[in-house]
Amino acid sequence: MPDTLPFEGIKVADFSWVAVGPTTTKYLADHGATAVRVEANTPLDILRAAGPFKDGVPGPDRTQFFADYNTSKYGITLDLKNPAGVEVARRLIAWADVFIESFTPGTVDRMGIGYETARSINPSIIMASTCLMGQTGPAAGFAGFGFHAGAIAGYYEITGWPDLPPDGPWTAYTDTLSPRFIAATIMAALDHRRRTGEGQYIDASQLEMGLQYLAPQLIDYGVSGRQATRMGNRSDAMAPHGAFPCQGEDQWCAIAVENDHQWAGLRKAMGEPDWAKDERFDGLAGRLAHQDEIESKLSEWTMTKPPRVVMDTLILEGVPAGVVQRSSDLQQDPQLAHRGFFRNLDHQEMGTIPYPGHQFRISGYDSGPRSAAPVLGQHNEEVLRDLLGMTDEEIVEVVIAEAFG
Amino acid sequence: MLSPYTVLDLSDEKGELASMVLGDLGADVIKVEPPGGSPSRSMGPFLDGAPQAERSLQYFAFNRNKRGIRLDLETDAGQSAFLSLVEKADFVIESARPGEMAGKGLGFEAMRQANPRIVYVAITPFGQDGPYADFPASDLTLAAMGGPMSLQGDPGRPPVRLSLPQVWLHASVEAAVGALTAHALMLRTGQAQFVDVSAQTAMIWTMLQGMVAHPVQGWDFSRGGNTLQLGTITLRLVHECADGYVVVFPIGGALAKMVEWWVRDGVVTDDWLTAEDWPMYHFKVLQQQPVSHAIEEILDAVSVYVRDKTKNRLLEEGLAEGVSIAPVNNIEDLARFRHLEERGFWLTAPLPNDQMAQAPGIFASVSGNPMKVRRWAPRLGEHTGEVLGGMLGLSASQIATASGQA
Repeated sequence: MPDTLPFEGIKVADFSWVAVGPTTTKYLADHGATAVRVEANTPLDILRAAGPFKDGVPGPDRTQFFADYNTSKYGITLDLKNPAGVEVARRLIAWADVFIESFTPGTVDRMGIGYETARSINPSIIMASTCLMGQTGPAAGFAGFGFHAGAIAGYYEITGWPDLPPDGPWTAYTDTLSPRFIAATIMAALDHRRRTGEGQYIDASQLEMGLQYLAPQLIDYGVSGRQATRMGNRSDAMAPHGAFPCQGEDQWCAIAVENDHQWAGLRKAMGEPDWAKDERFDGLAGRLAHQDEIESKLSEWTMTKPPRVVMDTLILEGVPAGVVQRSSDLQQDPQLAHRGFFRNLDHQEMGTIPYPGHQFRISGYDSGPRSAAPVLGQHNEEVLRDLLGMTDEEIVEVVIAEAFG
Repeated sequence: MLSPYTVLDLSDEKGELASMVLGDLGADVIKVEPPGGSPSRSMGPFLDGAPQAERSLQYFAFNRNKRGIRLDLETDAGQSAFLSLVEKADFVIESARPGEMAGKGLGFEAMRQANPRIVYVAITPFGQDGPYADFPASDLTLAAMGGPMSLQGDPGRPPVRLSLPQVWLHASVEAAVGALTAHALMLRTGQAQFVDVSAQTAMIWTMLQGMVAHPVQGWDFSRGGNTLQLGTITLRLVHECADGYVVVFPIGGALAKMVEWWVRDGVVTDDWLTAEDWPMYHFKVLQQQPVSHAIEEILDAVSVYVRDKTKNRLLEEGLAEGVSIAPVNNIEDLARFRHLEERGFWLTAPLPNDQMAQAPGIFASVSGNPMKVRRWAPRLGEHTGEVLGGMLGLSASQIATASGQA
């Protein structure tokens, strides 16, 4: 018997693009909702033009950057500058429980599918708009990527080395945290609607979601004037605390000594070398004051061993340690294998690819992505016919009007 | 939106944002702390630099919209009061080591017996079981094991984490999503649900296009400092300006407009205007077609153009002409960022030392049911009497016993 799924029967019209909106609706789709991802042929979702591409060969249907965020969804293409395309969009909004978009503020109004229109055709619709800066304010029109919002939200300032320009997180950082906040908000709105019949309009600014994680530092600045900044891997409250070089090419193990007890564990793991018995290192203050010396000596020990051996040796003594894993290492990670984190799904163009699964497991049901991402326009007719109940004649009219993007 | 629901938060800094998200969404959150207070109360930054339970801004920041009670779960009286609360609750969130709650007799089974419709959320480094389940872990080691560190930092130096802890915040908001997903499932099945959140996998999701790079393309992405790898192009995103740094992404229409600025200001020669179909320039580079000016020349022109202008001037000039130039804001810049002020993002929070401070507002705005900060973080045990007396009808002496204050 198939599992009962949490969001079975919930219908999602996903007019968003790039990362934040599609990742948000992925939560609903993977957990049972019927979700339709609406794309355009021109311009393509920029993720379809960026890698990683299957076997390194570019192509709009060959990128896992797009595919990871669009599992378990139907995919259609619509030209929203074409009146026949807009008409299909309105039918989708009438059909849906949840409508999400991530255009520059004002765009959906100009297209004729803004909130007032959506509510007039579907009074209890839950609509979410997400963009970098939010729907209002002097910089609302700032169009860009999570790199931009990551810099504006302070994440470049706090990533890298104090003696170098900021590095920034490698990824478009606000894209990593925003989908979680929006998905929780939509799920709460669905629960509210189930009880009351009321819909919602949600304005989710990726900058403002990004600032949630910096709340202690933002409050602290206002009262003390202190400013957090980048400090490599160091910490005010722990030492040693860093990534240490190991045997092999560019191999590293992260080590965090949180207290004196763990310092004793580290010494034991290293075989009680004489240098580490120095009583200047016994307390946190001393270890913080002599970090350079400790890091250099500790590196001499880690360099003689593969990273996994360093990790295992330290873990045995109760010291937090972790190999700096790459995507290739994650495929070999026994813990992830135990959780069944990666799911092999069969994609129409790319074949079988391991898709990252969910970050939580709910006992008693298999909560992974259900199907691979669609290729461009894969379900155009199917969605119009089976989900929207359009007749063959109506679908032919959409084709003749060249409204399928 | 979640006003009919009650959440019991047993967690520390590893889960406090999870229950706060549910509280911001309207739930009644009861923060259950041991007699000595949540361990997060000993985490800085501290008000007045004083490392005391009522001075932690870490605690203050992630415990708004919660009532706070003190309960000694090491005693029968405390456990019994807690299970009585579970009967009236909808969610329990905890962040103890795997097996620790069950060891106290307060695992999922005990809670399910107390309340057959409870949603129980457990946040741990690697999940409840498996070979790494009992590994000691920290923010740094989970950023390593989850993968994002392999991508961050300058190539000539060790990989880096973000300098402020992020792991438990990612895992916590993910736990809020897991809680609401499981709640939706409970409504359909009528059965209690156990949600097992792994912080390691929450970090994997912060790698975005890096998550499965190797199995897809045959090679791992690697750290490149402040550059962005776009196919065959390496773009340096960070450029120094008069008062700090800006992030510039010179492609498409933005590049075309910037070339006009550069010609106007004499940064490049006039013939640049017609040298390329600039909006299409990056496609030519990606396809390794010959171009009139190498990408390095473009990046040099960006650097020269921005170096004597301020972050805010570049942002505003760009906004007026559709070119997105992002200031690399520090904390002070953020506190004064005009856009946030005009959106009414900031709130004024009464701190435990009676100072008032600017604090971040709620993460999103919702038209039908505006989210509000109904209360700021509780003092230790502030609502013990109200909750144990009011909700459970315990007497003053029973409350004192259960909360470890007898």
